Amino acid sequence: MSPKWNSDYYIALECKDLQANAMAIDSTGNFVLLAGRRFLALRNLDIIDSNIDSVVQKFPRQSKYEVGAAEWNPTNYHKELCVISSNQRLEVLTWRMDELIQTFSVRAHTRVITDLNWHKFDPNLLASCSVDTFIHLWDLRDSRRPTLSLSAIAEASQVRWNKVSSHLLATSHEGDIKIWDQRKGTAPVQYISAHLSKIHGLDWSPTSESYICSSSQDHTVKFFDTTNPRRAECILPTTAPVWRARYTPFGNGLVTAVVPQLRRGENSLLLWNTANRATPMHTFVGHRDVVLEFEWRKQRPGDTDFQLVTWSKDQTLLVWRIEPFIQKLCGYEPVESKDSNEIYGAENLRFFKKTSPRVQPLQQEFSLLNVLIPNLIILKMDPVARNVLVKATINNFIVVLKVSFPSAYPHGVPPGFEVIKEGSNVNESIIIQLLQMLKHLAQQRVSKNRTCLEPCLRQMVTTLEQLSSDTENNRIYNRPYLEPSSLFAGYNDAYIPFPRTSGAKFCSVGMLVCFGRHVNPRRLSMKIDIAPRGLSSTPRALSALENIYSKRNDDYMTVSGFYYQRQRSRVKHNYSKFTKAVVHIYDVLGLFFVNRQLAEEYILDGDVGTICKHNAAASAVVGRWDLVQAWTLAELVAGPEQADEENSWNNHPFGNKLMESLIGHYAIQHDIQMAAMLCCIFGKEHDIFTRKASLKSLLSPVQLVPGKKWFKSEGSPYHTIPPADIVADGWVLPMLRTTRSTSLDNLTIECTIKLHHAPIKIIPNSLYEYYKLAYADTLHRWGLIYHRTEVLKYMCKTPETHKGVEFISDCKDCMKPAKFGNCSSCKKVTLKCIVCHLSVRGSANACVLCGHAGHTKCLKWWLSLSDVCLTGCGCKCLVQTAGMFTP
Amino acid sequence: MVSILNSIDTGHEDMIHDAEVDYYGLRLATCSSDNSIKVYDIKSGASTLIDDLKGHYGPVWQIAWSHPKFGNLLASCSYDRKVIIWKEQQRKWVKYYEYANHDSSVNSVQFAPAELGLILACGSSDGSISVLTYNVGSNNWDAKKIQNAHAIGCNAVSWAPAITPVFSSNEPESQPIKRLVSGGCDNLVKVWREDGDRWIEESKLEVHSDWVRDVAWAPSVGLHRYTIASCSQDRRVVIWTSNDCIDWNSTVLHTFDDVVWNLSWSLNGNILAVSGGDNKITLWDQNSEGNWQCISDVQKGQGQINNQ
Repeated sequence: MSPKWNSDYYIALECKDLQANAMAIDSTGNFVLLAGRRFLALRNLDIIDSNIDSVVQKFPRQSKYEVGAAEWNPTNYHKELCVISSNQRLEVLTWRMDELIQTFSVRAHTRVITDLNWHKFDPNLLASCSVDTFIHLWDLRDSRRPTLSLSAIAEASQVRWNKVSSHLLATSHEGDIKIWDQRKGTAPVQYISAHLSKIHGLDWSPTSESYICSSSQDHTVKFFDTTNPRRAECILPTTAPVWRARYTPFGNGLVTAVVPQLRRGENSLLLWNTANRATPMHTFVGHRDVVLEFEWRKQRPGDTDFQLVTWSKDQTLLVWRIEPFIQKLCGYEPVESKDSNEIYGAENLRFFKKTSPRVQPLQQEFSLLNVLIPNLIILKMDPVARNVLVKATINNFIVVLKVSFPSAYPHGVPPGFEVIKEGSNVNESIIIQLLQMLKHLAQQRVSKNRTCLEPCLRQMVTTLEQLSSDTENNRIYNRPYLEPSSLFAGYNDAYIPFPRTSGAKFCSVGMLVCFGRHVNPRRLSMKIDIAPRGLSSTPRALSALENIYSKRNDDYMTVSGFYYQRQRSRVKHNYSKFTKAVVHIYDVLGLFFVNRQLAEEYILDGDVGTICKHNAAASAVVGRWDLVQAWTLAELVAGPEQADEENSWNNHPFGNKLMESLIGHYAIQHDIQMAAMLCCIFGKEHDIFTRKASLKSLLSPVQLVPGKKWFKSEGSPYHTIPPADIVADGWVLPMLRTTRSTSLDNLTIECTIKLHHAPIKIIPNSLYEYYKLAYADTLHRWGLIYHRTEVLKYMCKTPETHKGVEFISDCKDCMKPAKFGNCSSCKKVTLKCIVCHLSVRGSANACVLCGHAGHTKCLKWWLSLSDVCLTGCGCKCLVQTAGMFTP
Repeated sequence: MVSILNSIDTGHEDMIHDAEVDYYGLRLATCSSDNSIKVYDIKSGASTLIDDLKGHYGPVWQIAWSHPKFGNLLASCSYDRKVIIWKEQQRKWVKYYEYANHDSSVNSVQFAPAELGLILACGSSDGSISVLTYNVGSNNWDAKKIQNAHAIGCNAVSWAPAITPVFSSNEPESQPIKRLVSGGCDNLVKVWREDGDRWIEESKLEVHSDWVRDVAWAPSVGLHRYTIASCSQDRRVVIWTSNDCIDWNSTVLHTFDDVVWNLSWSLNGNILAVSGGDNKITLWDQNSEGNWQCISDVQKGQGQINNQ
């Protein structure tokens, strides 16, 4: 019954013609399914027989597609079912009475299926994922369509059901993991940005619901707690891209396999203890080629060993036993008593001695060695004499190196290195440097019982490249970007976005500021080839730089270095050529409707007819014929009745609507200039406009000189007509008549709304205010301050209340403070000029220190004669005020 | 339609990460991986270096000019976890205020619209957003922090325009509402509103399938609604529109060939500049049917904008 153990493994199957690339073990641990394009084969592991034919059943398969993935149903209920994927199809096979019958086949996806997984508890549920970005869940009882489809946007490479919870499943998409709950299928419940490179494998912890590990191209295995996905719980660094990482059924072990396409001089299968991630606990030596698939066999009751079944590219199926002492290394205490353990160990020793045709580690290393190292030729490789002869040719350096391996290698004993003088052309100092480096590296590797040939050879090539470039030209100055020992070492760069290296910003009014990477025009076409379409080639996070840094220990990485490295692989280049930091500023005003020349030419003062005429002429000069038409139209609308108070345009049934739609049209066109101009002239509040008209009718034509700011208040230019002014000028009666306003102090929007009969106008009015503000801002940016003020004068709402120093004068009669120059109770003008002793009703100035005030003109005249205050208070007004405002 | 005004060789020793011209279009500031910020006078085609600001100990990611009514202020943020506000005094730039209360790289800074006062928002990789408000009375900066605004990290912040066409006409004297939008590594775009003395998450916009790299709130002149643009590592640019800041509709502007990491609206809000990992800059506007179209097709040689 006992299989023929060859030390720690036995060959269960060796079959050259299978060409299988998928393997699966059923839930009982008896049957191994090997699936390839031409055959499906079933091996019963219970039958131990040297005769291959009696233990293997082959079923020919007629398909032009390879089998992508295969898995047996893990439940006891449907243990006879296994599923394989072939291109876009899912095929479920039933193993019954020594026959493998296809019971179900469906075209599950629109693109190739990348992975599938049975539900751990529900015997009818199956998940599949594909390049077509969907993850489908299938119920075998209704197989026509998926019971649930999860849309992931990105293509999925792995799908795994949780081993504890029956609702959760995880999928991998490039470097990210999405966790889904099948009860909430619309979006992933968790999203983990796990790796920067592609994730090849996922595995849930067999014991905990929230733990998952991912293996990636970036040489690491990361362990995540899905309840806290912000950062990995721990990271297991390895030396090669990791294809699969799976938890062991015992202890806290983990088995990893390297990516099959990548043949490196590495033992492809390693056993780790996740609590001690520095070195692997065990290396599985036996396969002559990389391991394609591995799976744990169900432990038989009474067995202390666990068995690992592996299928390799060398077309052999090996069964490994994991003995208690290895289990112990992974932190697992077998339940067996100590005595029986020892007996087992002794037995094992006996087995070990019997083995003769065992694959030597060195032989395996040689067979796995990737000989395609650039600039390096392997002259001789002799596993019997245990030495290797290589020749490296870099630039003008030629080095012939002999590596001899002692018999204890690689268990703590490094190989010997020797540079063969004949054939080499390098001087002594370079040889010494080279050997020193090789010895150091080899020692590092073998101290962890790892092989070292390929890393040593690769390192030799890199070192020689550097040495040769060092001697040719001076070392290129390179600013350290991410110094490993700098004070920012603790930063987690994986969450900092990759720096922007190009950008465009609209600034001021019509400027576009652009910067970007320097592109050599001749290389442009090549660059496009490098960036594959449809694949985001720019990394997500800043840690992408660190990645490169860790590969090349010699120099620090910069952002520019990153692009440089991507664009040219081998040639050493001066960085400065790529970092020529030029900023271009474009004038893009032509893309907008606002025009600076028009802004300068336009007027807003005077009667509407004159404004429109002038502005139409200005538009004609610029060549904006559409605006000429609009202005002419506006003039017509304002028309001859404009002066007539009763028939102003606002009451005109046609004109009003027309102007509204005209303003609306320009606003939608984003012609803020024209919209704001029309708003200023026509969009004013009804009462103000009629007031203006009525006032005009009262004034004699001589007084109405266009350009005279007759309604301007003495205060801030932002203010609309302060009512007090009008009162003071004795114009109060017509005002009251036309507006029916009860309170003259309250001429804000609030009261004008009441005056309007159509409430619909409220919103356009607030929009009109907005156009004026936006246009005023544009004018401000252009430095056209006067024009801006003209526009702001038409604001219905005071833009902001004045903050800062304010002068308040007390009324001499009532002794009450007055804000606007007039006493609120007696209506007398409160301020008297210190120079001419007349009441001040216009522009006034005051000294901040002594408080003496007067007409601006008067004060200006006096201070031109003397710098001391006229009142004799002794204040040197100009000098001391100036001193107050300079710190 | 488009002409080049100026080309400035900034002399930075490494990649430029941001460049911005001030309010009046007279000065250019650039920041780079060489840890420095440079300010140039670009008035009428000149390119004179005014100052080289050194104060950061890491690559400087972004800069922002303030409105000139607060003086000449420039804010910068860096990998060194700091935000520095620089002030020009007698043509020399000095450090005016330094804010070092973030636990990771600060990726984005932006001044609020001038109408709201002197306020700066900063988004950091530690996941939080800081809102720094200058207090005129105490001559100090008050910091308010939105903790855990974005799990993993915040990549971009952008203020809503202060004057919006939708202000309430019943209360003309009411305080303008402070709003900002942020994007982060949780693939979300979030809209925040100041409510009393704290910031509340008003809406959470969920369409992107990868890290959001930039967000930009459009000035949206002339239109009766709010518009936000967001771009992401998923190579898409999404335009969000809303009438009330609560219900947002999304439209995918375009899916690009590479990661998109920078957005900018024109002053009037009708043209959007997009740039990304492919080193190309494209300009987009909406045609009369409301569809977004590229108006800077390099192949057609019209409105050409290249980085060379």
